[in-house]
Amino acid sequence: MQIIQWLANNFFGTPAILLGLIVLIGLLVQKKTANQVISGTFKAVIGFLIIGSGANVIVNSLTVFEPMWKEVFNLHDSSLGHFIGQDHFISQYGSAVTLAMTIGFIINVLLARFTKLKFIYLTGHMMFWTTTIFAGIVIQAAGHVSFGKLVLFLSIVMGLYWTIQPALTQPFMRKIMGNDNIALGHTSASVALLGALAGKVFGNKENDSEKIKLPKGLEFLRDSNVITALTMGVLFFIGAMVIVFKGTPGAESLIKKAGDQNFVVYSIVQSFQFAGGIAIVLMGVRMFIGEIVPAFKGIATKIVPGAKPALDCPVVFPFAPNAVILGFLGSFVGALIWLVIIGNTVGYIFIPTMIVLFFHSATAGVFGNATGGVRGALIAGFITSTVVAWGQYIMVHFLIGSTIPDTAMWAADSDMFILGPVIHLLANLFF
Amino acid sequence: MKILCVCGLGQGTSLILRMNVETVLNELGVTADVEHMDVSSASSMQADYIITNSELAKSLGDHDATIILVENYFDQEEIKTALEKHLSQ
Repeated sequence: MQIIQWLANNFFGTPAILLGLIVLIGLLVQKKTANQVISGTFKAVIGFLIIGSGANVIVNSLTVFEPMWKEVFNLHDSSLGHFIGQDHFISQYGSAVTLAMTIGFIINVLLARFTKLKFIYLTGHMMFWTTTIFAGIVIQAAGHVSFGKLVLFLSIVMGLYWTIQPALTQPFMRKIMGNDNIALGHTSASVALLGALAGKVFGNKENDSEKIKLPKGLEFLRDSNVITALTMGVLFFIGAMVIVFKGTPGAESLIKKAGDQNFVVYSIVQSFQFAGGIAIVLMGVRMFIGEIVPAFKGIATKIVPGAKPALDCPVVFPFAPNAVILGFLGSFVGALIWLVIIGNTVGYIFIPTMIVLFFHSATAGVFGNATGGVRGALIAGFITSTVVAWGQYIMVHFLIGSTIPDTAMWAADSDMFILGPVIHLLANLFF
Repeated sequence: MKILCVCGLGQGTSLILRMNVETVLNELGVTADVEHMDVSSASSMQADYIITNSELAKSLGDHDATIILVENYFDQEEIKTALEKHLSQ
């Protein structure tokens, strides 16, 4: 009994070690060399630990941004209350998340093997984020949940989602890509489908986005570090300028936080901290997903050789590059409008993360263009910003505020926002 | 030999490219250390080859590594042709 307890605490209780074990087994199954097994396992574990440190950098800058904009909008509700935070949440529940990812993947493979839904979800980083966010929702809804039950619940939910989502988008993927070989495995599926629907109803299919000429020189948009720092820099700057001229006691106490440094300068540095934190987290995710996904793929290919890979959303971008930009344009404008509206109505400060907005609105744009041309792409982009803005508010305010709102504010996205309330309901039902 | 597979964000697409490149290298009987990442990270990393598309290659013009252009990261035939061409030199 004590051995089981020891194993539970030191293996299953320590996410980094459990993850290392899963990757180790995956590499051994792939018959990799000893050199590759050691380096792969270590990289996965290190990557996983890097995520926690990056998360703390992000939280530090959010705790400046959020109160600042609350003061700008004259809101007096308490800011983000007490929450566990990504770093601690991952230490406590990371094992459940990692194990649920693995078992959920196996369920995906089995469903692909025995049903008509022959799709294997291979977008590892979204597997990680979705499972983490859903875990955050479950823990908030149900308080503490036993390890086994949490893993079982998440595995089944994720296994089903990873098999069914690609099936739902496939009819449009066939149209966009001109073949049936690749599926979409990405959490932008919901806004992509909504965009396709809006395009059909409101768009003009004849006016295809690829027929128009868009200005060049937008390449810097491709560097996520630059675009994140730029947007947040502008928002921090505007917010800081308002605060400096406001003169309210709330504004004064915020300005004191900067100490000797000019408040505007201090705020702009915070925006770069935010971008830096995201860069750190993404590096960590890249390292550990880079070891898990090849292992998953190896297993899937053996069990379901004819299955279609469900891949990351950029797979559709080359087929309608102008629609990508139009979709993003629609969501960028929408995001700024919603930032102001949501701040002034329900009193929530929407964090417009460019990474989410870009990839999701770009995908929605391509889908919207497929059914509705230029108008379809633009509307799809605007729909994306609407889902992301209101979705973030609902999730942070109602579903995840005591667990990992810091994660939800920048990493949660469309499908998670739409399925979030469902997960919340199910968690209340079962736990 | 070190090869970097590069995409915009460095999360999903470059990983798919890396897996396809590793499969092709296996077929060609070539051993290499293959990594995947975003453009920013790639620009500061030492490598022999960088595999990416023509759009992203523009940001890597100053890099010491030889750039191998692949437009469709999911097309193993294109990857094989591009790699064969460069690795045989």
